[in-house]
Formats: sequence, C-alpha cells, structure tokens
Amino acid sequence: MQPILKIDLSSQGHETLEVPDAWRRDFLGGASLAGRFLYSVLSRDLDPLSEEAPLLFLTGPLSGTAGPTTGRLVVCGKGPATGLWAESNIGGYWAPELRQAGYDGVWITGGAERPLYLWLNGGRVEFLPAEHLWGSDTYEAQDLLRQELGSGMESVVIGPAGEKRVVFASIASGQGRFAGRAGLGAVMGAKNLKAIAVRGEGTIPVHDPAAYARLRSEANRTLRQDNEARVLGAVGTAGVANYSEYLGALPAKYFHQGVFSQIDQVSGSTMAETILVGRSACHACVIACGRVVRLEDGQRRKGPEHETICSFGPNLLIDDLAEITRLGELCDRYGMDTISAGGTIGLALHLFESGSITTEDTGGRELRWGDASAVGELLSLTARREGFGDLLAQGSRRLGRAFGAEEEAVQVNGLEVAYHDPRGVSGMALVYATSPRGACHNQSDYFFVDWGHTEASLGIEYFARHAQAEKAANVARHQDWRTVYNSLVMCLFANVPTEMQLRLINAACGLDWTLADMLTSGERGWNLKRAINNRLGLTRANDRLPKALLAPFKEGGSADFEPDLAGMLYGYYLARGWDLDTGKPLLETLLRLGLADVASDLWASPEQTP
Amino acid sequence: MPAVFPSEAWLEGLREKLNTDGRYNEIAKNWEGDLFFVVEPAGTFQETLTFHIGLWHGRCTGVVWNASAADHPNPAFVLSGGYDNITAILSGRLNPMTAMLTNKLRVKGSLGYMMRNVPTVLDFVRCCQEVTASIA
Repeated sequence: MQPILKIDLSSQGHETLEVPDAWRRDFLGGASLAGRFLYSVLSRDLDPLSEEAPLLFLTGPLSGTAGPTTGRLVVCGKGPATGLWAESNIGGYWAPELRQAGYDGVWITGGAERPLYLWLNGGRVEFLPAEHLWGSDTYEAQDLLRQELGSGMESVVIGPAGEKRVVFASIASGQGRFAGRAGLGAVMGAKNLKAIAVRGEGTIPVHDPAAYARLRSEANRTLRQDNEARVLGAVGTAGVANYSEYLGALPAKYFHQGVFSQIDQVSGSTMAETILVGRSACHACVIACGRVVRLEDGQRRKGPEHETICSFGPNLLIDDLAEITRLGELCDRYGMDTISAGGTIGLALHLFESGSITTEDTGGRELRWGDASAVGELLSLTARREGFGDLLAQGSRRLGRAFGAEEEAVQVNGLEVAYHDPRGVSGMALVYATSPRGACHNQSDYFFVDWGHTEASLGIEYFARHAQAEKAANVARHQDWRTVYNSLVMCLFANVPTEMQLRLINAACGLDWTLADMLTSGERGWNLKRAINNRLGLTRANDRLPKALLAPFKEGGSADFEPDLAGMLYGYYLARGWDLDTGKPLLETLLRLGLADVASDLWASPEQTP
Repeated sequence: MPAVFPSEAWLEGLREKLNTDGRYNEIAKNWEGDLFFVVEPAGTFQETLTFHIGLWHGRCTGVVWNASAADHPNPAFVLSGGYDNITAILSGRLNPMTAMLTNKLRVKGSLGYMMRNVPTVLDFVRCCQEVTASIA
C-alpha cells in the first residue's frame, strides 16, 4: 500500500513512513492503525495542545475507491477535553485526493511559529504562510484556498474556534462535512496549522482491481435498495427524530425532559416537506444523506443533520427549524462541534435556571430556554473566547466544575453525550460509558440495534430496548463491528451485507478473512484503544454515566426506566475479558488478540498481573 | 375474529379489528393512505399473494383479497416480502422493525411519511398479529 507522510511543522521537514505489513493486516487502517502508531507516543503528561502532541489523518484500505461510502478519513490524537484517545472521522472528498497524491495518511508533529498551511501537490510538500487565512471561517478559508491553489484540490481546515483552541473545535472538509467530535480542531490550531490542501492524480491501489470493481458495483447497487439508506436519502439523518422522540430516546431540555411535543416541527420529514431543495453526498456515496435547504434569504445552504437538530432543538427547547439551521451553520463556520456546543450551552441554561449561574457570570445576559438569538450570541462568544464564552469554550465538564456542579454536566470523560438517550435505548448506556473517546454514538450506533437492526451473520441479536445486562455481550460485539468500519474508514450508514463488506476487504487488501477474522480485527482495535486509555490513566471508575442519565424520565415513552449500569458493566467486562478491578484488558485477552507488546506493557510487573 | 393466515377470512377479521380497536383508532387517527401487500413465494409456499387495505384516519375503509395492482394503481405504500418473513412477523417471531431494517420487508412509498408514523405502523402490525390464529 502507500506510505504515510510525516510532517514536522517546527522544522518544516517531512519524511515518508512505511506501514509494517503486519500492522496493515491486523488493524486494516483508519482509527485502529492510528492507535497502533500512537500507542507509545501518547503519554499521560503529554499536553494535547502542545507542539509535541501528534495529529494523525489516516485513510483506510477502501478510502477513495468507488466502494460504498468510502470517501472518509479519520483524525486521531489526544483529546483536549478528555485527555484520552481521540478520533473523529470526516466525509467529503479530501481522503480520495490524499490517496491519489500517493499517501495513505498524514502525521503532523511539532508546531509552526506562525500560521501556515500545508500544500500537498502530488508528491510535492509545501509549507505556505496562512496569516491571510487566520481568522477566516471554515467556508471562507476553503474558498480562499481554492482561489489561491486552483480547483481540483481539496482541503481540511479549521475555523476561528480551532485557532482559539476551543476544546470542541472541529475540522471541516467541504461545505458541510466535519470531524466534529473530540476537539481535534483545537490541536490543529495549537500547532498554527490552518489547513491541509491536497491534490492528487494517481491511481488508488487495491490488491485485486478486477474483483474489487465487480464487488463495489454490486455493493452500491445493493445499498441503493436498502431501506435504511433510502430513508436517509429521503429525509436525512433526522428522519429518525419522530420515532426516537416517541420512544423517549430523544432527550429534551438538557436531558431532563423525556418528551418534546414540537418534534414534528423540526424533524427530517418536515424539513423534506418545507425547506429542503437538494441533497449532498460524500465521495462514492449513493445515499446522499446531506441536506441542502433554502431559508427566507433565498440562499442554498447546508441543512442540519439529526444531532444538530437535537442539540439546538429539543435540547435547548427551540422549535424553529430555520433557527436551528442558522445555529448549525454558525457552528460549522466557526468550526465547532454542534453536539458539544449545544451540550455545553444546555448546561449553562440548566445552571442558570437553578441559580448556580447568574447574570453576573454571563456579562448581564439572561439565559433562557428556547431563545435562539441568545444561543447564537453564546456561540459567537465561545468561538472568540470572549467573556462568558471563554468558560463555554472549555466544554461542559469544566464549565460545571467552575460553578461547583460538575456532576450536572451530561458528559462522559469530558465529551458531551450525543442525543440517543440510554433511558430510551438502554444499549447506549454501555456505549457511552465505555467509548474510548468519551460519550460517543459513532463508536457504536447501538440505538439501531435497540430498534431492531440485527446482524445475524455476526451474532448481533435483538434484545428489548429496555433490556439490561443480558445485552452486554451484544453491545461489545456491535462495538467490534463498528470498529472495523472506523478502520476502513467507512460510513456507518453503509448498510451493505456483512459478507459483501468482507469480500470488499479481502479484494482490496489481499486477505482471505472470514467474518470471524473481520470481527476479531475490530475487537483488537477496540482493546488497543482501551489499552491506550489505560496508559493515559483511565480506570474502571471512568466507565460511568452522568447523573442526569441515571434519573428516570417522568414522562414519555421511557418514563420510569433507569439503566442498571453497574449490572451492564459487569456483564460487559466479562464479555470483553477485562479485569473487573482495574478495567484493563486481561493479559490473556491481549495475548489472544496478538497484542503481546501491549500485554507486556500493561501488565509489566508481577503485582499488576491479575 | 382471529383466523388462519393466509385467507380471506383473515383479511376480513383484520378489517373488523382495525375498526373496533380503540388503541389503533387513536394512534392512527392522522394516518391517510392505503397499503398494497405482496406476499412472495418462499419455501413450500409457491404462490404470489396480494391484498389491499384502505386506511384513513384510524379506520379501515375496505379490504380486497387477491387484489390486482391495476385496480389499485397508486397505493400510498406497497409492502413486499417473502411468505416466510411475512408469516414470521404475523406470528411474532420477527420484529417488524427488524424486518424493515434488514430488508426482509421492502417498502415503496413516502419514506418520510412512514418515518413520521412508525408508531402507527407498529400498531397496525399488532392488530395483524392479534387476528392471526395460526399460519397455514
């Protein structure tokens, strides 16, 4: 396969790094391979916003091909809000361009003295000044780069929030695709790296091009007929909003309300019937879940996806789809994750209502539910780190801590919880508690399994949405499968039959895997990330849920249900082969997965061995 | 009211059930649209079976056994699936959401409308299950 381009921003030097064959076989690519590279690089005392902190942009073995939804890449490093493993994947068209330029990834180290951007033009690497781009929003920056470098190139950029090191700053690619979660935009900003532009004209290598071409064609045809893909195409990701709210799985009023009666006003179905004027798709995607909408000003713009709608809609009690669209765009332009931004502002509103935060803290501003204009102002303050916005820019855990109310923050290990409430879909309790990057719905979108989306070929079965510990092993298995997706790096919406996914991997990588081998690769990646986090200080005590998610809703489709997290975790640790006391993968688990060096490291001394 | 599936008596029982079931009448009070079912051959069942169900505001407006597509040219939804999967849903062995999400049941029609009304669809399935005495 292709090498990784290693960049040192401090010296403005670069080199190429070959990926060991064994690592490619064991981890495929993407987030798992990044974990393998960064295992020994990430340390407990490494400041994620320091020059020394690594930032890895990695593709997968299918990236940039015409396989189903294979335009993605993943960005990995140490999370500025969590201090733990961070990964965030992103669609668009950058990954194909990078692979056509001859690289499977870019590893950034060091930091520039002054703002710059990287220009990877085929095999040529240039470090170009970016003072003129500094301060521009994510859309403007990409436009300016296009003017400067010409068309036919793609870029990943940060906005003002990344420059200001907002801990939930995102990285943008194209107008509407973001590596939103985990704050890696702040890591770029801390390195004075505004953008990476790339143009490539080469051919993307696959092991067996003829077989792969047949398979990817078949896979795309199948995906076009898939019910879930058709729903996503027709009504976007927010097509699930009505049903999720009905189940009591869509939290409102910062996770304190189990119903949102205006849900239909902000749903994907309503968007499709009112402001939707088009759809957008990433490279090689036949689904096209992206929304293009038109508001009163007549301009076509990105429409919000499900998480953005939930974050600024029900979460903050805003029931106007146009306002939500504007707030989403504001976040996108500043370069901030909409889940964390809405979550952090939700906490501010919650604490203002309870009296913990007053107008003295907010610069005289009243913080009221449903006030879209005030939320817009808070987003601007956050991105610029002005006044109260400087506190918001540190995320909900630190905001809560500043007012003696850290337990009120709905976050796990520093990452704000996404909007699939475990009181409505209990599997998400385990997913949030054990996700390697903090509360995350993309390490396992298990809510779909709780709705009934089984995968018989992998032994992923249906358990009632309010079942408890009995579903623990099922959740682990689903996480393993989704870890394969994040290695590929493939969109979770690519609901292609698993056997077809396996044949695509085998044809692209020259492997002869079975489904069990594929799942083991995912399990290996999951355990590797767990081990990284253990090295960074994570223990069993980190596998937790915030207080709000353990208090039953009083109303709605999940009223009175409380996840039994302790019981679920017990079953989960047993299923995973993790030590019940320390939370570390057991020695035999690591050895079974071929992670002997990690085993030696985690269980170095006899007293550490369970 | 319960009857053997597949039979005309089953469909007639379903019509009666949909019109007298208070829970369905309430949850489907805003539903507007007819359903055209195609049960495809599978296993030992080697016929193609069709039936049409008119649904409007929580009521069943009529049913047609062995319905012709020509007589119902623009149904709101066409639902198709193999006999094995349809009977698995009716007997409660297959979760209807699982059937949808794993493509064991195919849907043609407004997916936006369907997603907005999943609770109605699931309650319709409950009524179907409750009128299924057994599978032939």
